[in-house]
Amino acid sequence: MQGIVLALFACLLLALITKRFALPTIPFYIIAGLVLGKSGLDLVGGDEISAFLTHLGLLFLLFFMGLEIKPDRIWKSQSAIVTSGLIDLNINVAIGFLAAIALGFHLFEALIVAAAFFISSTAMAVTSLIENRKLLMRESETIVWLMVFEDIVVILILAFISPQMDQPLAILVKTLIMLAILYAIIMFGKDQIIWMLKRDDELPVLLTFSAVLGISALSLSVGIPESFMVIVFGTFLGTIDPVSFEVQSRPFKDVFLVIFFVFFGITVNLFTEGIYLPSLIAISLIAVISKYASGIAIGKLIHKNSHSGIEIWANTIGRGEFSIAIAALYGSAAVSSAIAFMVIITSIIGAFVAKYSGRIGKVLIRQPLTVQGDNPSR
Amino acid sequence: MALRSINLPGIGTKYELETEKNDIIAVFFLKSGNIQMYTLQHGCQTPSVAELSPPEARRLGSILAGAIMEADQESVEFAFSALSDLRITIHTYIVGKSVAGKSIEELQIRAKTGVTIIAVSRGDKNVVNPPADFIFQDGDTLVAIGESDQLKRFERDIMVT
Repeated sequence: MQGIVLALFACLLLALITKRFALPTIPFYIIAGLVLGKSGLDLVGGDEISAFLTHLGLLFLLFFMGLEIKPDRIWKSQSAIVTSGLIDLNINVAIGFLAAIALGFHLFEALIVAAAFFISSTAMAVTSLIENRKLLMRESETIVWLMVFEDIVVILILAFISPQMDQPLAILVKTLIMLAILYAIIMFGKDQIIWMLKRDDELPVLLTFSAVLGISALSLSVGIPESFMVIVFGTFLGTIDPVSFEVQSRPFKDVFLVIFFVFFGITVNLFTEGIYLPSLIAISLIAVISKYASGIAIGKLIHKNSHSGIEIWANTIGRGEFSIAIAALYGSAAVSSAIAFMVIITSIIGAFVAKYSGRIGKVLIRQPLTVQGDNPSR
Repeated sequence: MALRSINLPGIGTKYELETEKNDIIAVFFLKSGNIQMYTLQHGCQTPSVAELSPPEARRLGSILAGAIMEADQESVEFAFSALSDLRITIHTYIVGKSVAGKSIEELQIRAKTGVTIIAVSRGDKNVVNPPADFIFQDGDTLVAIGESDQLKRFERDIMVT
């Protein structure tokens, strides 16, 4: 208990500092964890309580992500999503996988590293576009749709890579049945749900909290992929009243996610056998370069312009919450350290590059900038 | 004039307007509740951006919607150009010692000045359309409506004496 309090206050302090300098907070929470935990001073260790709280952080992250997913809207914007998404997926998964193999990871580990390597942080991309006032850029829409595509990939990963891999067909059938039942309940009880959400007592928040925990418990007892179920449940509820559920679940997500990040850092041991710091640095830098390759490719294809590629690169360098989630769910000790390191380095470099993308673009690309107002596509 | 709107997941709703002179104005309603407004002059590369809170955005909106208000610190003037240029001013005043403890009736506000008290704010409570026997207290904020001449008379004859 004292450990959690110590970790939380460290995070509070760091959040104050990073917000002041407009830096992303996620890497600093992980660094705080590394310093407090096994890799550093060994002041705080994980226990049952912290495990439960970090689990809540993961659940609410996924639930929140589910709320944001609007299947009809995604269906309508397929063309915007698929082309750039596939470029992003192919380039980064290929490079990430090869880099992981080269560093000596086994096949399954390398796949997990590649997945975490591929998925940029949606939170950091969105914050960076807003804070750096880049929403008007043509590229910002491309970036937002890229994030949506990556989210869909995360869902597929969570649906298909589960710890119980022995009876894939049985799990699939069970999952589909549970989804159908959930959907029916939500559609049938729609009016009751709306009525509960409109109240101003403890009912809305109690409903949200117990619903998310309930789905998690249900999935575990039936033996179907929990993370996937929580996301899809969020998407179902999002069809009723996404704003209200967001408002109710945000405080849980915010605080438990901080605990999730810091305890991820605490449990990672950067100094166990078989982990070489230079290779961690190498893979993190490759992660930055790999997004450069995909960013430029997407920029050239969609916007016919390398400078657009720089903007896309700048805002997608940072890996964050979903990479950590994948590490926490599937990663071995070595994989988790590699991903922790990658998140820290890419998100800090990403924040810097996104802020100075204009100047960096001028250095990296010689091609003259096209003037936005003259673009006939507008 | 081409207007398009799009919902950007995770960010909010975007409205983009291209003027006849090819300048671009884009408004983003962010999830945080704030509004970012970008303007990009034709031929220019970097937009200027302002971030507005919801009240600021509403204020800007009502200015753009037809410049019917002239506002200074404590008062707002509405002009109805269709009604032979009817102008009505709403003004706020802080109740001082001279008025405290007296009722609206006692002060003969309407008869003497033509001004009507439409609301009184006391602490965190508001009284809209206070009755004639409403008694003012020191520190109340009152909202009065009338023509600007009537309000001047109200200020001079009732509030200050």
